[in-house]
Amino acid sequence: MTSDEADRGLHDRFQALRREAARGTPSFHAMLAPRVAPRPQPTWRRWLVVGALAAVAATVVLTLGRPRPHRATLVDRAAVRWEAPTDFLLRAPGAELLRTIPTFTLNGRLLP
Amino acid sequence: MPPHDLAAQLEQLHAAAFGWALGCCGWDRPVAEDVLQASYLKILEGRARFEERSSFRTWVFGVIRRTAQEARRRAALRRWLPLARLFLGPQEADGRPDPEAALAHAEETARLVGALGRLPPRQRETLHLVFYQDLTIAEAATVLGVTLGTARTHYERGKRALRRLLEERE
Repeated sequence: MTSDEADRGLHDRFQALRREAARGTPSFHAMLAPRVAPRPQPTWRRWLVVGALAAVAATVVLTLGRPRPHRATLVDRAAVRWEAPTDFLLRAPGAELLRTIPTFTLNGRLLP
Repeated sequence: MPPHDLAAQLEQLHAAAFGWALGCCGWDRPVAEDVLQASYLKILEGRARFEERSSFRTWVFGVIRRTAQEARRRAALRRWLPLARLFLGPQEADGRPDPEAALAHAEETARLVGALGRLPPRQRETLHLVFYQDLTIAEAATVLGVTLGTARTHYERGKRALRRLLEERE
């Protein structure tokens, strides 16, 4: 079977379906006629749901948005001396001479 | 376009539009009727406007397709979110074929409908538009909102898959 024949076969099947559907097509004017409106939901039920959702939302907002009491945080600065990993680069040979007071002695005795 | 002209044009297209609505709704007649009515109302009330960027027929088919998609989404929302029923109103048909309400088909066409139901939606829609509605592939692309190349791919793949499915069932 060639491709054209196969296409024709499919086309014929679809056209048979089309003829079948056409027999059951409702009238255009009947379709535009207003249908029986669906029963409206009671308003109080909608408001009940809206109220419940609003209450939940308000609770969440109040819970999350409430300012929390401020707690002082004590830090022992002496215990948390921080040292940068590159500090050693700043250490120059003999730098301790610049940070200490030299002592002078005479015959083993410390001069005042 | 004045409303009476619109109504006259819709009336001329009515049989084809009903066929397309059936195709978009899994051949479920009550759903197709609801979708088609909603589409007509959209058009006649001016909620969907024809801007002459395509032919009137392809535009109407596009409106029907979108309306069917909206109906499916609403039905899915109702299934997954019970609270939505309060806002969306009572249960409408959900776009799935209902065996009780589906069209009674002859054996041959029932086989075709069954095979179409197993194709991916885009392939099914493309084949329907080309073989059932006698649209060109370019017009089908406009209705589906895809490029011509994409529509051609859906058409070729759809044909191959449909033939295979029909052969399996014979």
